[in-house]
Amino acid sequence: MRKYYSLLVALIVTLSAAAQSDKITVSGSVTDQSDGSTLPGLSIVEKGTTNGITTDSDGRYSLTVAQNATLVFTYIGYTPQEVSVNNRTSIDIAMIADATLLQDVIVVGYGTQEKSQITGAIASINNEEFKDQPVTNLASSIQGRVSGLNVTTPSGTPGAGLLINIRGNNSPLYVVDGIPMISQSNSSLSTSFDTEGNVVGSGQNVSSISDINPNDIESMEILKDASAASIYGARAANGVILITTKRGKTGKPTINFNAYYGVQSIARPIDFMGSEEFVGLVEEARQNDLDKYNADPLYFGAGFDPTVLTDPLANFDLSTGVDTDWLDEVTRSAAISNYEFSLGGGTDKTKYYSSFSLFNQEGIIIENYYKRLNYRLNLDQQVNDKLTVGTSAFVSYSKNRRSFNDNTYTGIITNIVGSSPLMPVYDANGNYTSFEDYQASWLSDNPVKSAKEIRAITTSTRFLGTVFAEYALVSNLKLRSSFSTDVTYTTDNQFKSPITADAEAVGGEAFEGNYRNTTWLNENILTYTKAMGENNLTLLGGFTLQKSVTDRNSITGQGFPAGSLELISSAANIVKATGDQTLWSLMSFLGRVNYSLKDKYLLTATVRADGSSRFSADNRFGYFPSASVAWRLSQEDFLQDNELISDLKLRLSYGLTGDQEIGDFQSISFYSPTRYYGFAGVRLRNIADPSLTWQENKMLNVGIDYELLAGKISGSFEFFKSNKSKLLSQDAIPGTTGFPTITRNSGEIENTGFEWSVNAKVMDRGDFQWNLGFNFTTVNNEIKNLTNDGILVSAYSDLAPTHILKIGESVSSFWGVKYLGVDPASGDPIYQDLDEDGDVDSDDSQIIGKAFPDAFGGLTNTFKYKKFDLSIFARYSFGNDVYNLIRPIYESLGYSNDDVSLFSVYANNATTVRDRWKQPGDKTDYPRASFINANFYENSSQFVEDGSFVRIQNVNLGYTLSSWKIFSSVRAYFEVQNLYVFSKYKGFDPEVSSTGGANEFTAGIDYGAYPQARTFLIGFNFNFK
Amino acid sequence: MKAKKYITPLIFALLCLTTACDFLELESPNDINADNLFKDAASAENALIGVYSSLQSPSYYGGGYLLIGEPLSGNSATGGFDNSNIDELGAQEVTSSNIIVEEMWYGIYNTIANANRLIEGLATIDDPAFDPDRKNDIEGQARAIRAMAHFDLLRFFGEHWDNASSFGIPVISTVQKIGDIAPRSTVAQTYTFILGELNAALALVNQVDRDPAFVNSGTVHAMLARVYLYNKDYPNAILHADETASEGSYILLDDVDYASIFNDRQTSESIFELAFDSQNRSRYNGLTYARPDALNTEVNFLAAESLSDFFIGRPGDVRADLADFDPGNNDTSIQPNGRSQKYRGESDEDSPAYIFRFAEIFLIRAEALGYSAAGLADLNTIRNMRGLGSIDPGAGGFLNAILDERRAEFNFEGHYYFDLARVEEIKPGGLLDLEAFRAILPIPMRELTATKGAVEQNPGYE
Repeated sequence: MRKYYSLLVALIVTLSAAAQSDKITVSGSVTDQSDGSTLPGLSIVEKGTTNGITTDSDGRYSLTVAQNATLVFTYIGYTPQEVSVNNRTSIDIAMIADATLLQDVIVVGYGTQEKSQITGAIASINNEEFKDQPVTNLASSIQGRVSGLNVTTPSGTPGAGLLINIRGNNSPLYVVDGIPMISQSNSSLSTSFDTEGNVVGSGQNVSSISDINPNDIESMEILKDASAASIYGARAANGVILITTKRGKTGKPTINFNAYYGVQSIARPIDFMGSEEFVGLVEEARQNDLDKYNADPLYFGAGFDPTVLTDPLANFDLSTGVDTDWLDEVTRSAAISNYEFSLGGGTDKTKYYSSFSLFNQEGIIIENYYKRLNYRLNLDQQVNDKLTVGTSAFVSYSKNRRSFNDNTYTGIITNIVGSSPLMPVYDANGNYTSFEDYQASWLSDNPVKSAKEIRAITTSTRFLGTVFAEYALVSNLKLRSSFSTDVTYTTDNQFKSPITADAEAVGGEAFEGNYRNTTWLNENILTYTKAMGENNLTLLGGFTLQKSVTDRNSITGQGFPAGSLELISSAANIVKATGDQTLWSLMSFLGRVNYSLKDKYLLTATVRADGSSRFSADNRFGYFPSASVAWRLSQEDFLQDNELISDLKLRLSYGLTGDQEIGDFQSISFYSPTRYYGFAGVRLRNIADPSLTWQENKMLNVGIDYELLAGKISGSFEFFKSNKSKLLSQDAIPGTTGFPTITRNSGEIENTGFEWSVNAKVMDRGDFQWNLGFNFTTVNNEIKNLTNDGILVSAYSDLAPTHILKIGESVSSFWGVKYLGVDPASGDPIYQDLDEDGDVDSDDSQIIGKAFPDAFGGLTNTFKYKKFDLSIFARYSFGNDVYNLIRPIYESLGYSNDDVSLFSVYANNATTVRDRWKQPGDKTDYPRASFINANFYENSSQFVEDGSFVRIQNVNLGYTLSSWKIFSSVRAYFEVQNLYVFSKYKGFDPEVSSTGGANEFTAGIDYGAYPQARTFLIGFNFNFK
Repeated sequence: MKAKKYITPLIFALLCLTTACDFLELESPNDINADNLFKDAASAENALIGVYSSLQSPSYYGGGYLLIGEPLSGNSATGGFDNSNIDELGAQEVTSSNIIVEEMWYGIYNTIANANRLIEGLATIDDPAFDPDRKNDIEGQARAIRAMAHFDLLRFFGEHWDNASSFGIPVISTVQKIGDIAPRSTVAQTYTFILGELNAALALVNQVDRDPAFVNSGTVHAMLARVYLYNKDYPNAILHADETASEGSYILLDDVDYASIFNDRQTSESIFELAFDSQNRSRYNGLTYARPDALNTEVNFLAAESLSDFFIGRPGDVRADLADFDPGNNDTSIQPNGRSQKYRGESDEDSPAYIFRFAEIFLIRAEALGYSAAGLADLNTIRNMRGLGSIDPGAGGFLNAILDERRAEFNFEGHYYFDLARVEEIKPGGLLDLEAFRAILPIPMRELTATKGAVEQNPGYE
């Protein structure tokens, strides 16, 4: 009907225009600048007149106006635009969503608030900024985009867990549509073993937060200070990330189909030596040693037999012509694709959003892949004036063919870094070559065999759903109750074929693990709002109950028949079976007051009381209060109508948050089941501290939000100081108690920092727009107190200590011997003999670096020209060191790893050692090649590197067609992820974490992590009419 | 009103709170609260099994304890992926931050904690159905094991050869509470405790049963003989060795059957043999053999070339077969070292810990008797059973002959390093030419940190 009316008006206007010779008819289409979708019902008025029209259902208009008229385009939620006609008859307009962000509604804990009313430190990031990226984990899509948030990608493995650090604190709480979500790795498949098959590290981490499809997310809010976070009380000490998924909006259904396809390849390969150079290096090493021997026959001790330096090495010559590039053999160009269909819309009363997506990523290491299927349905129904009910639900299924032993001993990558190029992948009969037959004793198996014959698959099925009802008891008092469940079922299947070194002796080994978790949550929130003149008051009170039950079981079998029988029932022996259950519950009361006076003076006070089953009855309840005030200076008279400052707000907050993530039942000394000689028994599990209680984080935050030049420049400054005390730690106690550690509250860590973010509309000239976003964060991390000052910790349970916890130092301080360089005369490495006892050993260790960056952040540039758009996003980190513990292997300089027999070559080297010392006088950091001496010291600053980097994370070039055929808009784009990394780091990637997860005490170790990929992709967004 | 159905659970939950709701009172389905364990006979039996299970810790008799001394004594060369902890053992230059040593320290004290908890728990059990003899037996086993654990610590961390030394080990005879810090006892105090416990245990334990998987009076006599020998109380060492030797439960195997000690399980030579099975594995195979074509990187404790040389000087000794230096059986990367064959059985990895074998009784007694007809007889008994003829090395060579016999008999069973330290042959110019302080290991740095200086480091390692 409206369409005809519009046409009628247009006709009349046109007719009347025809009567006046100085009038012309202007027509065109109006679209949304961000996605190119058409905007029906938008109002267009000739300035200074009542002459106007609205756009039709295709977003088109036609209006007769004076030749020199100015058209005013207005639409709710968009910045009005004025355009001079200048005799043009066709004017297409792209509308920009409201420039002034202050009216934006921001999600806060248990509610929403207008941005102008916020008193805490909250960063909000919108879908526009992270959609369509080829990532599995939503956190990687916000890497570098928010100040104070440092997201590290420790592994390039698809579906890998990330290291999320907010203001120096690892592992924030994720809250998805109001549900605090379990985000740790649920897989019981360990990927870090030593040569005996014992678990030595947490290895590759699989994040269950990857279950969420990033494109289903409408916005993410990062609650950084205590004021914003303490409403989540006992789980908020490390910050909170609120994730809000898309919901339907009133209006015509929007139907979208998005697809991308891309190719990934290794971004920063290490250049390893070929056969000729490798043989040359080892022979040079032997010659160097022979020279030493000839000069001084006692140089290698009495009884040294120099023939080991002259006899030909077994299987170590170039006659075979084999020159295998192992990195090339185990990596590949890998496809990545995503297909996604979504549907949203609704009437005044019923709104719906539903989506389905299929994500498929091959790993850049052969055999490895990650597939995920997501389905979501969000519904809202207004039952009557008082009652609204709704639901949010998603189901996801993922299947991950794991890469065995990522980032640790005996892994595929750790193997290839030392593999001999003289060794072919397959022998003449097409069988895998036996690594024992070729020189390079570092190997634990033929890497291609490991990749193919160790099959590990983790699948995860997850359901997360909420039903809620919101009822207005009286007009300004609302009750919202919800009931949510989070159900996860994860399975692990690993089969080590009998031909692998790992399972050869036992005839093959299979592991099957199951993880089931059911968590339910009931929340009941009352909200009262009252406006009294210049006073605005909002009161919120709530009560929540949550309980989580986890069952785990696993079974290991050995001895498998030949062929394809790989399931546990084919095993000759069941060698291990486990089954256990753990559970926790949490009961919480929460309250919040928001008060504003004259819209200038704002006050927020919150308190939460959490009772947790994890602590004994006496220490069960923790109280987490916070308060914050803000002053909107720009509302004061002296800043009214200031042309420079359009908005200015000062914020101050202080509060307390907590952490209970220590595992269940840690406050009780237990006997656990055990066995001996066929008898069942019980054995002490731990020594417990019954006074175990919450970790506390007190945080002070001072912030300034600014908006200059009518929104052209906006951003904020933040200064914070947080003191984490009563740290939940595995604290060292005297071993005479029977246990090396106790779980107790111990220590204090202080993080102080400064953040700055700015968004600027650098240029906006008709067809061309340039926006810039920049953020910068610096955090100083210092241990203030410890029960045991100077305790050493190791990233792997069988490695020498790699880190130290020391008062006055940063956590994640590296521990090792200091490398002083190469003696130019002899070519030998020099290490600092700190205790001056004549030996260089671990007694000479000192702090030699730290994993924590001094500063990090990101820079986004978006450009728009006509129908083209381009965004370039870079992020950076400075001052972070990496302890590259795998590098000694591939820079072992011809070493034999054997001070007695000297028959074997240790490992191939990277071409970086071409800079090695060769003759007296050479000034270099690389010592001389030596067969007998290890001219490297693993735990030393020789292998501590500057991990600073600038990464061109994402470049996206798009072209948008509006209203084409059956589509209201179509956008095609070309994208490069991880285009280039500017870094001096010698490993695959400066972003590392051997422990794969959140252990900040052992951060910054590289032990052959899965390399990062560079991805080129093309994609399409179709919006159906 | 529809909202009622949401308000109800809220009210219910609030009510629940005021009426001492147990929503937050959860119990672990996997564990038993240690304070509630000891109620009846069964609970004591269960905790006793736990004490044995604690002996199986990978760093104690599950592997580490019996092998760490082998490279230190020179019997073993170390392999592995250039791991500095292993390398330090191989270089005989152990530092206080060595994780292998640290884990052993914790592993042994864990056994002591399990035993102490059981001993104290037993006293609180009031169960009329608990057979008093069995109750005594359990107490005796626990006390013998905690004595053995203290002795095992003393041998690695205390100056065990010198009764006048102040460098004993922290003696722990009660359940430790948080904050308890135990300083070191003197060597004499440590021996007093160990011997007191063993003598008490002797009266308590089962006098008849001779299952080598558990401690009984035969085991305790053997332990007493060993401890008295270390403490140089030769009459008592002889007394208890006699008890063990004369009772007839244990029989030496001859040269033909010798290898069956290691290939079979619980032969007549085993006095105390900690049992493992395929579902409860030991580390011996993985640490000393791994798989037939293993490289030196895969085997942490290789048989050192010097052990080969040693056996070359002992033609006819069947024990040489168990130190395999055959190039056909060992990868070139291992040669000229070899591998011990005492812990084969790669598929089940159930190699037991040979904590006490009968052969040791003869060598204890021989040493305690000194150069004498009886002493020579004991020494030659062992030689004859191992394919060697009798010898008479004379008074001057007698002790060295015993040390050699011990090396031949117990290599890769953890004795030789202690033996050399015991006779003070670890010193510059000694049988083991190292600085004298290396006769024992450093107290782990972590322990020094955690005890805030209350525990003193061993001389030479400060």
